[in-house]
Amino acid sequence: MELPFGTMPLILNDLQPWHWAVSGGLLGLIAVLLMFTLNTQFGLSTTFVDFCALGSRLPFFDRPAVRRTWRLWFAGGLVGGAVLSAVLGGGWAPTWDLGLFDSQIGYGALGKTAWMFGGGLLIGLGVRIAGGCTSGHGIMGLATLQWASVRAVLSFMVAGILMANLLYRVIY
Amino acid sequence: MNATVRNLLYVVYGLVFGLTLSRSGAADFNYIQKMFLFEDFQLYGILASAVTTAGVGLWLVKRYGRTITGEPVQIKGKTVHVGNLVGGALFGAGWAVTGMCPGPIMVNIGEGKIYALAAFAGVLVGTWIFGYFYFPLQKRLGLPSVFPAADAGAGKGKSAAVSGGGGC
Repeated sequence: MELPFGTMPLILNDLQPWHWAVSGGLLGLIAVLLMFTLNTQFGLSTTFVDFCALGSRLPFFDRPAVRRTWRLWFAGGLVGGAVLSAVLGGGWAPTWDLGLFDSQIGYGALGKTAWMFGGGLLIGLGVRIAGGCTSGHGIMGLATLQWASVRAVLSFMVAGILMANLLYRVIY
Repeated sequence: MNATVRNLLYVVYGLVFGLTLSRSGAADFNYIQKMFLFEDFQLYGILASAVTTAGVGLWLVKRYGRTITGEPVQIKGKTVHVGNLVGGALFGAGWAVTGMCPGPIMVNIGEGKIYALAAFAGVLVGTWIFGYFYFPLQKRLGLPSVFPAADAGAGKGKSAAVSGGGGC
């Protein structure tokens, strides 16, 4: 039996996705380059701590480790890279398109906003308690054989599988 | 390397990372759901190849022991605690709900997906809630302290200030 890889176009301009090995290789390479050229340990969820630290005086945010660090520059690059991706791939335009959500759940703009805000809350709280996300635990932690990351990755994959199945195979 | 060059490099790496997330499917709502539903294995392939590339590359960097500018390389270990599981479960649920993890939220904003702004706001508020309850959460879940040096003295004082409902 052959497993299906990259079987559908992206929501972004119906583009065909890059090969998984090229994509994953590039993502891994950036983590290596950050370490080798800038002595920086890759991880993206802490970017949101940096953002909070711009406006909050709580002790947790009032630390040099999260005060205007490299993460804000990297985040700027992330957004810029995505704009570039759209512009080079058929044009940039604001959109509410949400693929499977539109065909199976079908809420409008207000519903999507509430849905995304609620999901974002779970992410923000969850990644801080877990000590990392798909990049810090998933790529960096697994690549350096951290037991904490194996636990976190197993936990968020199992929870994601349960939630997606609940949403798209049971409820909607 | 001066600060301007470093910051420029961070932006360039961010650009490549963002472009790749955008075009790989890793920031695509449908691909995330189909990964969780086992209908498309693109993202499992991406995670496996990213971990392999980073694993080999970082192993070489550690063996070499220094960065390109000659600084000693240090990779901090992640602390094992019950939060890995509890927080991981919350995050996984949120990932399936939004179809985005933290990096791809910023990528989706860049692509022009308006709803990603709501996810961004949600993560900010979630992060802030964690910051507000940091001291009790840290104690209860055995999380590593983010105040290593000040732990004994100032940490406790701050803890008391927070539970007293200090600023924001």
